[in-house]
Amino acid sequence: MDLFSILDLSGHALTAERQRAEVVTANLANAETTRTPEGGPYVRKHVLFETDAPGGFGGALNSAIERNTRGVHVSAVVADQTPPIKRFDPGHPDADASGFVSLPAINPTEEMVDLMSAVRSYQLNTAAIAATKSMIVQSLEILR
Amino acid sequence: MSAVDTTRIDLLEHFLDLTSSRHGLIAGNISNIDTPGYRTRDMDFKAEVMKLVKSPEQTPGPVVREVRNLMERPDGNNVSLDREGLLLAQTQLQYRLGIQLVKEEIHRIEMAINDGK
Repeated sequence: MDLFSILDLSGHALTAERQRAEVVTANLANAETTRTPEGGPYVRKHVLFETDAPGGFGGALNSAIERNTRGVHVSAVVADQTPPIKRFDPGHPDADASGFVSLPAINPTEEMVDLMSAVRSYQLNTAAIAATKSMIVQSLEILR
Repeated sequence: MSAVDTTRIDLLEHFLDLTSSRHGLIAGNISNIDTPGYRTRDMDFKAEVMKLVKSPEQTPGPVVREVRNLMERPDGNNVSLDREGLLLAQTQLQYRLGIQLVKEEIHRIEMAINDGK
């Protein structure tokens, strides 16, 4: 396991966390959206994280270290199954015959907490990258 | 027998390998901090160093295991932010120590070549 692959691994984690933050932000932005190109209200999205398969990078997987040093990737972005919230608002252009408007089942507090968690994980991964980088720089010191 | 004895540098090389391997495990744990069901992985660093010192030539590679007694979240993930953050700093310093010792060793050999100057 060389230091550059470790750098790569942390980089993939950053990508995954950023994607999560993007999806959460989209959920927040569309908390009140009643119209979408697909029809009906916006549906909340979830990001699914999955550990990389062993040997996903570097090729050979003989040692225990290489089998166990695994990164992360986003395996899928899935739609929330919760039915939309019905709000009584007969004057709304998207209200149904009985006067109810379907709104996405999004709780802004929940999304904010998720966003904070994504930011924290992103920071920790950046710290890991900084550590790896300084280790690489230190090994260059031998040459001096 | 070679003119320059490099046993210590070879040993230090293995030590650096070990440290960067552990650093990789920690980076892997950190990147999986939000993966449901992921279990923290680590090696017994002390035991691995002892193994290295006893027989530097024949090491089958460190043994990796799941870490027990960590608080598990409802999604089955047990990566601890504090534990990994601390170990990150620790391995970085250990690596630096290894590098310093290698430099020292090279310096000594150099001094011998240069007639003690």
